[in-house]
Amino acid sequence: MRVLLIEDYRPLQQSLTKGLREAGLAVDTTRDGQEGLWYAMRNDYDVIILDLMLPGMDGLSLLKKLRAEGRQNHVLILTAKDTLEDRIKGLNLGADDYLVKPFSFEELLARVRALLRRSYREKNPEIKIQDLRIDLMTQRVWRGRDEIRLTPREYALLEYLAMRAGQMVSRTDIWKHVYEFESAASSNVVDVYIGYLRKKFEQLGRPPLIHTVRGRGYMLGPKA
Amino acid sequence: MMRSLRTRLLFGIISGMLLLLQIFSLTVYMVIHRALLNQYDALLASLARVLAASVELDENNIELEAAVQQMPEFLRTERPTYYELWRSDGIVALRSPLLGADDLVHLDGVINTLVFAMSRDKNSRPLRAVGLKFIPRPANSDDKEQPQLMEKQTFTLVVAGDASSLQRQLGLLRWLLLGASSVTTALSVFIAAVVVRQGLNPLNSIAAEIAAIKEDDLTVRVGTTSVPSEIAPIKNRLNDLLSRLENAFMRERRFTCDVAHELRTPLAGIRSTIEVALRRARNTAEYQTVLSDCLAIVESMQTMVNNLLMIARLDACQVAFRRVQIHLTELVNSCWQPFSEKAVQRRIAFENRVPNDVTVNSDRENFSMVLSNLLDNAVEYTNDAGQIWVTARHTDDSIELTVANTGCRLTSDQVAQVFDCFWRSDASRTGTGIHCGLGLPLVQRLVNALGGSAAAEVQSGSVFAVRLILPASTP
Repeated sequence: MRVLLIEDYRPLQQSLTKGLREAGLAVDTTRDGQEGLWYAMRNDYDVIILDLMLPGMDGLSLLKKLRAEGRQNHVLILTAKDTLEDRIKGLNLGADDYLVKPFSFEELLARVRALLRRSYREKNPEIKIQDLRIDLMTQRVWRGRDEIRLTPREYALLEYLAMRAGQMVSRTDIWKHVYEFESAASSNVVDVYIGYLRKKFEQLGRPPLIHTVRGRGYMLGPKA
Repeated sequence: MMRSLRTRLLFGIISGMLLLLQIFSLTVYMVIHRALLNQYDALLASLARVLAASVELDENNIELEAAVQQMPEFLRTERPTYYELWRSDGIVALRSPLLGADDLVHLDGVINTLVFAMSRDKNSRPLRAVGLKFIPRPANSDDKEQPQLMEKQTFTLVVAGDASSLQRQLGLLRWLLLGASSVTTALSVFIAAVVVRQGLNPLNSIAAEIAAIKEDDLTVRVGTTSVPSEIAPIKNRLNDLLSRLENAFMRERRFTCDVAHELRTPLAGIRSTIEVALRRARNTAEYQTVLSDCLAIVESMQTMVNNLLMIARLDACQVAFRRVQIHLTELVNSCWQPFSEKAVQRRIAFENRVPNDVTVNSDRENFSMVLSNLLDNAVEYTNDAGQIWVTARHTDDSIELTVANTGCRLTSDQVAQVFDCFWRSDASRTGTGIHCGLGLPLVQRLVNALGGSAAAEVQSGSVFAVRLILPASTP
């Protein structure tokens, strides 16, 4: 799940980036409105977290341009402005959610996750695929009655595959949505993490869940 | 001192009315009294003259003509008329038969002049009397020696008539006037009360309008309907006051909102830094980073709060100054010290062009704050490898000090706003949480409080300059 954070206040930018990454999200970040728009136009972000008062280009103008270009990314506005008028203006311009500073990080995370589920039309915070159960809120995973402990990276990969369960997911898609913009592109990393997940899922001789579509990518669960 | 306008008006109108009524009634009474008395006196006087003319002196005998004696006035017992005649030696010569043995009042005066007086008869009935001193005509008018002989024989005649009817008429008049006055008074109280109430109605309606004004909505104005011209000035002043209050409240509200907004961003920074750190166990180095990040935010918030407090104190005139003579070149150098390292990092050249002989009479601590804020602002917004310079010169009775820097991206419209609290141009938004837009407003307020003035301008070559005019000596 790939998120773009556009926030000019450095302490907030740094802590949010850290928190979101630790929560298993791939985060790209910038402090300038122009640059933010550039990022948003060149990548397919699941959620954009947008501050309103930005150097370069203010948040509302950025949002307007983004929508004018036909981009349908989910946008969460983050701002110190809290009047009803400001909220309505933001939502009218096509924002999906609005959070007033200062906010609780857990609330931001919950809202970002809700937007991510909407990205994949998944309203239920719990996903079940055969005997695999994923709680999107607590990020815990079970196979049958046994809980499987995953690292944030492994979880991020599983969550993305689960959101598109039954579909073929290409390595490029996985790379785009799970790994960060700045990190060096290497499809090998995807294969390595898929290997980790398989190993954990197929302990005690359980049947495989992740299938390889030769030459194209991977698929979680039975075909849709 | 009567508090109520209504009471005061009523009291004034009614007491004025009463006074006028009294004067009017008294005048009417006096005129009618005089007229009635004159009429009666004229009657008595003519009787007295007839009587006097009919007195005949024969030797030592005094007689009245029979025709006069038989006049009905002197005979009737109903509203009788009396007469009495005295010799000059005081001996009664004649008296009207109706008097019996009683005497009338003896009215003595100048010859042939009538004297009037009120008196009473033996039954205490009021009498009006007229006295006439005269020389009776002699019985034989042909005798030429008689007048000389009788020269000293003067008589005093008093004619008195019953005045009870006159008194009754006057009594009636008194009651009539009293009654009329009472009715008029009662009516005037009623009319005055109605008129005063009607007259004061606009005041009541204005009062009701004022009472309806709520502190959360100062946009309303009073007296929107037509008001009497006497109240119009009050209405206008009140509306002016409301406008000023509304503006002040709006400024205050906007300022409070701005303060809240400016505090929200650093608070959000602290909160998310701490919350993210607490989500899992971390090593000492990570905690140290989090704590120092939070400390930096707290320090910038502290600066902002201090600046706000200083601005509030300056606005409330609560800052005391201790003026001394300050050597400007030295002060500029010492104020630059904290920024020099940052300037070197960004390859900014600084030049202190203040002539060595320039001194200002000012408060050292507060004037240092002015310079530090100006230099801080300059370092923040100068372009990399740009320039900052400070100049000063003597004018007539003041010092002109200019702090200028290159790399200005402000338009002249934006420059007009640099002294507004929390204002930042879009280009400078990178300073969120570090520069809260209070430095230049504080500079302006401080300089004003120190008796000077501050102005900002964009000069050619993207140069931003703040020029201070300061008093050279104690203002």
